[in-house]
Amino acid sequence: MKKYWKFIATITIIVLSIGTFYVSSTMSAESHPEFVIKTISGNAEEIKPLVLEGSYTSSMSYVGTNLKVTSDGSTYDSRSFLDKLIGQPPTVIKDFQEKYRTFMRGKDPLVNYFFENEEFLAYATVDYRLDSLRSRDFKFHISVLNKKDGSIDSFTEEVPDSGELEYISVDDVQKVEGELYLITRNMTRNNDNFSEEAHIYTINIANQKISDHEAIVDTTNGQSDTRINVRLVETTPTEANNHLIIVKTELKVIEDMESIREEFINQEIISYNLVTKEKETIDVPELRLDENQLSFFDGSLIYFTRLDGQELVVTPYSIVDNHAGKAYSIKLSGENGHVDGQLTTIKDGKLYIASSQLNADVVVADADKGEILFRGQVTLEDSSKETRQFELYLHEIYVK
Amino acid sequence: MRNYLKLVNFEFNRVAKLFAVLLSFTFIVQVIGVIVQSKSYLNMADKKIYEEFMPKAQFLESFGHMSFFQIIRSVWFLGPIAICIAGVGFYIFLIWYRDWLGKNTFIYRLLMLPTTRLNIFYAKITTILIMTFGLVAFQLILLPVEILFMKTMVPEEFRSDMGVGELLTNMPELSIIIPGSFVELILYYGTGLLVVSVIFTAILMERSFRWKGIFAGLVYIAIASVIFILPLLLQEFVLNGYFYPVELLVLEIITGLIILAASIWMSRFLLTKKITV
Amino acid sequence: MIEVKAVEKKYGRKKILKGVSFTAKKGEITCLIGINGVGKTTILNAIMALTPINKGQILIDGKTLDKHTFEKITFIPDAITMLPHMTIAEAMEFMDDFYHCWNQERATELLGFFRLNQSDRISSLSKGNTAKVNLLLGLALDVDYVLMDEPFSGIDMFSREDIANVFTSHLIENRGVIITTHEVGDIEHLIDKVVLLDDGMVSKEFSAEEAREIEGKSVIDVMREVYQR
Repeated sequence: MKKYWKFIATITIIVLSIGTFYVSSTMSAESHPEFVIKTISGNAEEIKPLVLEGSYTSSMSYVGTNLKVTSDGSTYDSRSFLDKLIGQPPTVIKDFQEKYRTFMRGKDPLVNYFFENEEFLAYATVDYRLDSLRSRDFKFHISVLNKKDGSIDSFTEEVPDSGELEYISVDDVQKVEGELYLITRNMTRNNDNFSEEAHIYTINIANQKISDHEAIVDTTNGQSDTRINVRLVETTPTEANNHLIIVKTELKVIEDMESIREEFINQEIISYNLVTKEKETIDVPELRLDENQLSFFDGSLIYFTRLDGQELVVTPYSIVDNHAGKAYSIKLSGENGHVDGQLTTIKDGKLYIASSQLNADVVVADADKGEILFRGQVTLEDSSKETRQFELYLHEIYVK
Repeated sequence: MRNYLKLVNFEFNRVAKLFAVLLSFTFIVQVIGVIVQSKSYLNMADKKIYEEFMPKAQFLESFGHMSFFQIIRSVWFLGPIAICIAGVGFYIFLIWYRDWLGKNTFIYRLLMLPTTRLNIFYAKITTILIMTFGLVAFQLILLPVEILFMKTMVPEEFRSDMGVGELLTNMPELSIIIPGSFVELILYYGTGLLVVSVIFTAILMERSFRWKGIFAGLVYIAIASVIFILPLLLQEFVLNGYFYPVELLVLEIITGLIILAASIWMSRFLLTKKITV
Repeated sequence: MIEVKAVEKKYGRKKILKGVSFTAKKGEITCLIGINGVGKTTILNAIMALTPINKGQILIDGKTLDKHTFEKITFIPDAITMLPHMTIAEAMEFMDDFYHCWNQERATELLGFFRLNQSDRISSLSKGNTAKVNLLLGLALDVDYVLMDEPFSGIDMFSREDIANVFTSHLIENRGVIITTHEVGDIEHLIDKVVLLDDGMVSKEFSAEEAREIEGKSVIDVMREVYQR
């Protein structure tokens, strides 16, 4: 035995040391504080479907941990190896992956690329080759899953008239009847002039051909000191919409000695009907567009929001009858009376408001009239227990 | 099995001296590092607070608390770890060549032992593994000891205490050596074991065919590397991300096991049929 | 019986062994004789599977070598097979650890026979004593066959006498011994069988006794005939 002592001692130390380390590290892993949404008034049932996503960073640590706060409290993403490996795709994508595992293979986990309704799940993306001189071989990759019979229709289609294209990205996918609509942002280059436009490609699913395509918003302009931004207003990715809402912002570029500033000139809101291909400029004289934020579009109503002190002023605007509804305001409170970092979403006629800060209001209101259904606060479950300094930052609001 | 264990013990005793040197070097240099870093922080605090009359709060504001993190990031701490890695890396080769080189012809004895020659291979690779885990285990023991050292030197009000786990999650370089979870430990060191088995096979090729063997060994290493990353390459360039990450992990594990099996099979063949003393 | 059958061995392009065949029986001392570089050591290495052969076959009691064969045959090369920092006692312990056929009694006997000191380190031994330790480690195994590579080369006169004495003792009795040498003088009278190697081939294989008694020639006489033709 004498000649084995070094060996046995080393093995013992290895087993004890590494064993102890991993046993104790799995046991002490969960030391994060618990956050809850405390009810101040209203019906707590209203926040059942609400999910707030954010990150928690302790002052002792340099790495934040992602967490979700719901009516049931907070859950932290475990930083276990498998979770890191799988990554953290958006909740919608995660659901898709669980439900339609085969269909979701090889799909980029970007919500914009997906469309879902009762019967179909569609996906479209674009790829191209980057050459030293210019990009080429633009191709759409399209897959449509028929949920009923599980059949998958996948095809690749060349992007038409892509000669001058420099860059293209899919901003939204919509499906109306047998047509798939890809709303893209195209960047074209003409010598040294770059221009960006919102483009729509109509694809007939039955014959797998692009039947039509056109620019919705053209941004070509003569003046070199102005810049035009085109933004597609987000909608719930899993809901069908016949209308697209596009915000076109014109900015004046001012070059100083030291910096380049941009100054707001003009903003236009354009509604595009996918079926009739009609384009309309929404003119809302009573709303100053530079002050109001176009926060949400739910298919028939656009919600403009504006912070006025501690109040969030919401103006619903119906695109069906082109009429602005009655504005209402919701009083919010934040840390030190300071309100910012608003997260808003609308689902099923309800407006959900939260803030990125701790101890800020969480409000559920009737989206149409502004009647408050619930008011609460994201807060520590037991603040007396928590002595550490930390930062909580919520960045995503989601309604199941 | 008995012969394998005897051989492992024998090989381990052969490396025990080098192992002890690495351990003591790590211990001494890291402890000196703790002392030097803590002292320099305290000296700075003394100078600012007692000579320049800076209020304590302001000092902490502008210079921060002393945390073990500063020590971990210094060359005093990482240097010995690098030396240990280099030492193990060097010994991967020496563990074979020391039996052939110089006046030492111990390889005659090893090859003539009444046991399967593959046991020599297993014993040597186990020794490398034990040596590596030994260093990791020692570092895990050393960390809390060093933290304690710092605590006795720096008063609490100047300190920001961190646990070993917290230190590791904030130090990605270190979490390769001491991963956050046991699964990762197995995967990382399993990959390490795989690499060592491939290198061992290449060494045995050299020992069997000499000059031609060096070439064959390098080709073997190249082929093994390509096969190992093949699933990743296919995933990226051919299959367009067909596999989910978990599936890819399983594929990688299978690929790794195949390469390990191939290395063992090849080494067995070389040791029984092709080796030259 | 050890059977070496048409063994060929190349080093690079150079053919060292060009079809060597001979046999060595249990209870006999077979001597491989040839000038330096003729491939004597290579043959012994090949028997022990310490170097691959290109063609031919080697059988030990009718079987090819495997791990069990090492309990039956041992090789005493012209170099120390233990780690230099080990003492003789440690080397013996190592052998005892791994070989079933290790005979501790015989090892102790050999220690006395060679007047070796157990606590000496191998690295500190003279060339002669190193050779003795080598012999000790080989002969203390209860094996049927012993291969010895140049046991007398570069060794002082007294050690040679000691080693030569081993061959006449009970330590060798009933074993099959293959010994290589390029100077046959010391052991000429001990040899049962001679295999003369020349240019990678066996040029003559004969019984020493027959040569002496029937032809009235010593081994050296026969060697002269063969090599100086």
